[in-house]
Amino acid sequence: MTAPTVGEKWVEEPFRRFLDDARIKCGVVLLSTGRVIAQYGFAGPDDVMSVCALASAINASSRELGKQLDGKPFGELHHAGGERQLYMGSCTVGGSDYLFVGVFDAESSVGVVEMYFGDFRRALEESWNSSTPAAPTHGDFEGDLNRSLDALFGPIE
Amino acid sequence: MTPYTETLRHLARLPGVIVAMTAGAKDGLIIENSDGAGSRGDASAHRHTAALGAFLYARSGRASAAAKLGEPVFMRLEAERGQLCVVGCGEIVLLALVEASANVGRIRLDMLTARGAA
Repeated sequence: MTAPTVGEKWVEEPFRRFLDDARIKCGVVLLSTGRVIAQYGFAGPDDVMSVCALASAINASSRELGKQLDGKPFGELHHAGGERQLYMGSCTVGGSDYLFVGVFDAESSVGVVEMYFGDFRRALEESWNSSTPAAPTHGDFEGDLNRSLDALFGPIE
Repeated sequence: MTPYTETLRHLARLPGVIVAMTAGAKDGLIIENSDGAGSRGDASAHRHTAALGAFLYARSGRASAAAKLGEPVFMRLEAERGQLCVVGCGEIVLLALVEASANVGRIRLDMLTARGAA
């Protein structure tokens, strides 16, 4: 397994353990606004940027759909493809909403991914509480996004 | 009601059975459990047990195939404080979480009967 790249240190260990336990092929952790926090298995910043933008939009749509249908936002999303499957889950840590989007195959199952995502959420909270993460910035979305991508893939030349 | 509802109720009434469940063989998600028929334990632990039990059963199928033994029929995981029994029934798996002192022979027979009936 190649190493995941993370923009915030407190996410690294929980993310690495989750990827390993749940046998995730590729995945990304992002703020619900679309800013990337950590990634694994993607070739470059363009792919990550697309996934983050789509995940953020899907999350906003499904939350609203859940509110209309059930009075509360949907918490998780699973798409079962032919060979590969997609799982998306959310959590709130330190007052910020985070999303995870990951792809897995027959080496895992949605039940296993869902279970380890629960562990991941708890580990993130513990890691946040035991570290002193930088406060999330607001207002300069494009600047934040570029800084995050630079942290994961290096500056674009 | 599913074809396994009565089997689950019956298993849950056997001495030493903590919970009996059916779950998807591929996704590990619980289809039905014996809640309300004498099962014990918390729902979160049952979800985890079903997910990992189904996953383990799928892996045992690969080990069985590699050893040229054919399809697995019955899987029993013996741990310090209890046992997990799993039987595959096509698209689903039947799981029983039992105490160490339970009569596994009887449970095995009933699970295999349910598999045969399916």
